[in-house]
Amino acid sequence: MNLIDIFGKIIVISHSNLEIASRINAILNIIAQDMPFDEAIVYTLDTDKRLTCRYKNDKSALFHLLNEYRSHIGEGVVGSVAQKRMPQSFTNKDVPPRLGCLFYPDLDGFIEKYKAFSFLPLSDDSYLYGVLFVGSSGKERLNDSEKVFLSMVAREIGGILRSNQLIISSKKRISELATLSELGKILSSNAIPRDILNNIAFIIAKASNASFVTIRLAHSFLKLDSQRFTYGDFESTSGEDVIRLEEESKKRGKTVSPRDLAPEGYKNTVVTSLYSAPLTSKGRFLGTVTIGESQTVSGPTVEENGRYLIETIANYISSGLENTLLTTKLKDVVNELNNAQKRLLEQETFRNLGEMTANIAHEIKNPLVIIGGFTKRLAKKARLDHTENKYVEIILKEVARLEAILDEILNYVKESPMVFKECKVSDFIDELVYLFTSDQAWDKIEITREYDNDVPSVPCDDQQIKQVLINILMNAHDATHGTGTITIQTGRKIINDRPFASISISDTGGGIDPAIIDNIFNPFFTTKEKGTGLGLAISNKIVLNHGGHIQINNIVDKGATFIVYLPLKNNIIREELI
Amino acid sequence: MKKEKLLIVDDEENIRFLFKEELEEEGYEVDVASNGLDALEKIKNAVFDLVILDIKMPGMNGIQALNEIKNMNKDLPVILCSAYGEFKQDFSSWASDGYVVKSADTKELKQTIKDILGIE
Repeated sequence: MNLIDIFGKIIVISHSNLEIASRINAILNIIAQDMPFDEAIVYTLDTDKRLTCRYKNDKSALFHLLNEYRSHIGEGVVGSVAQKRMPQSFTNKDVPPRLGCLFYPDLDGFIEKYKAFSFLPLSDDSYLYGVLFVGSSGKERLNDSEKVFLSMVAREIGGILRSNQLIISSKKRISELATLSELGKILSSNAIPRDILNNIAFIIAKASNASFVTIRLAHSFLKLDSQRFTYGDFESTSGEDVIRLEEESKKRGKTVSPRDLAPEGYKNTVVTSLYSAPLTSKGRFLGTVTIGESQTVSGPTVEENGRYLIETIANYISSGLENTLLTTKLKDVVNELNNAQKRLLEQETFRNLGEMTANIAHEIKNPLVIIGGFTKRLAKKARLDHTENKYVEIILKEVARLEAILDEILNYVKESPMVFKECKVSDFIDELVYLFTSDQAWDKIEITREYDNDVPSVPCDDQQIKQVLINILMNAHDATHGTGTITIQTGRKIINDRPFASISISDTGGGIDPAIIDNIFNPFFTTKEKGTGLGLAISNKIVLNHGGHIQINNIVDKGATFIVYLPLKNNIIREELI
Repeated sequence: MKKEKLLIVDDEENIRFLFKEELEEEGYEVDVASNGLDALEKIKNAVFDLVILDIKMPGMNGIQALNEIKNMNKDLPVILCSAYGEFKQDFSSWASDGYVVKSADTKELKQTIKDILGIE
């Protein structure tokens, strides 16, 4: 069969839809039979850049021997052909070629059977894919047309290997994209953080064929029941290694494997490869993701592309993860706010209850004073015997006891020591506005807030000052009859050489009747049908106790403005303001 | 010796009665008024040495009445007398001369009156 016919067969096979191994093996069989050669073997380049026998003609006798050796590029004949990318041919008169990295004495007996050998690189302009080796026991040497023919065959096989590599890398890319898309889906879902993190671990494990994947979140980032989310089991095999690796990747801020660290420091007997990558978003450390593969797993290993994969995934999930977790955090904050609102409402209820109790106590106090007072007078005037005197004493003692109880109730805004904290007044206001606006009665009130961001924190008893603001806001609401605008402003002011923070609350409720304005801070003064007349009196008292005061700017027919001045620390902002 | 003249202002009739009896027994001359306006009327028409003023009263309350009284005669001493202990330390800011928490035991009231009037 002439070479052109043989090449025709080869082209047909090379362009067929067969599996890569079938195509290459078929081509090797054709040249072995038709040329003929005893040996037609293809070495391919592994990912660790070593040449390994992978394909052969059916009758090859050398394959199983050569297959045991993997040569580096530049090593032996195969390695040197691969390095120089130049074909080399030998006859049995030449020194027997060193086929691999070693001079292999066992091969000598076989090699001597072959008279002509040829080694051809399988490469294109940029990449080397492997080496084609042919050996013949019949031919003395290869003629020029055979050499040309073999280089054409080598080109065909190189083409097959190249397209295969393209397919492999596109498949890899596709599977990466599929993984990333799956990760994207779970990150943008509404699942709870625990489920999201467990799912991420699972998806990464499937994508990388890893035996375990563990994600550990930084405590400072988000407080969860657990900070670790794992697919598979690592604790029984390499728990300590994983933890050390996580610490190291956090410290170095990059992906690390035990090989990057002192090797003797790692037991690493069961897990062949281990990578830990930091999860960071905008320079913030969120945690680490670690993948590991045990020796029992075969197939494409973590070792091959572990670092690349984990880095890609870590980069991809970091910001998404941060968003997901921040959303959770936000939910927590909203919950907390709701709870705060509930607490405030409770406080408000208690406050009203307190005022009511005080009213009742007041009503009881008068008759009690009268009973006690007249009992005393009666005892003084009437000539009572010893027993009768004892009765009177009992009555008086009991009256005194009741009075003591009532006094305690009537002092309900207790002179308890104030608990001073450094507070941001805008925070109170936000909290209160949030509280009020969630109440239907405030639906038609527009609340405008204008904050002076330079107001420093104010030393005050936050609970008491909140009570003051609640009172003023409730009055503003009542003044507008539920429809209007309330403007809340914060600011700073120097009064008599001292710095104050101001909280101003203006309403559009038509202002206060000038006839009563002097009385509005008096206890029991009220214009409301069910008012106790204690709200502003107590508010005023609280503000005075803080060393501040309340100022009223009243514009009749328009509205009233209550300005609460609270003293700032003397050294703050004074220069700034003057 | 001239008797000091006191005015008791309280909306509760029996409180007025009790305090009147107790204070008359101490040797004072005592008149009573049942609300702020009534009290102002009496002060306009007669000379008093001291006023005992309830705070929580219908119509004009004690603090309003206090201001009116001080406007008329700033030298007339006024003692606020209320069931509330709450505002005891605020009385001076309201221009009152004393503050007594109402009690069946009138010792404190009597002592405060003596202190203000300078009676041994």
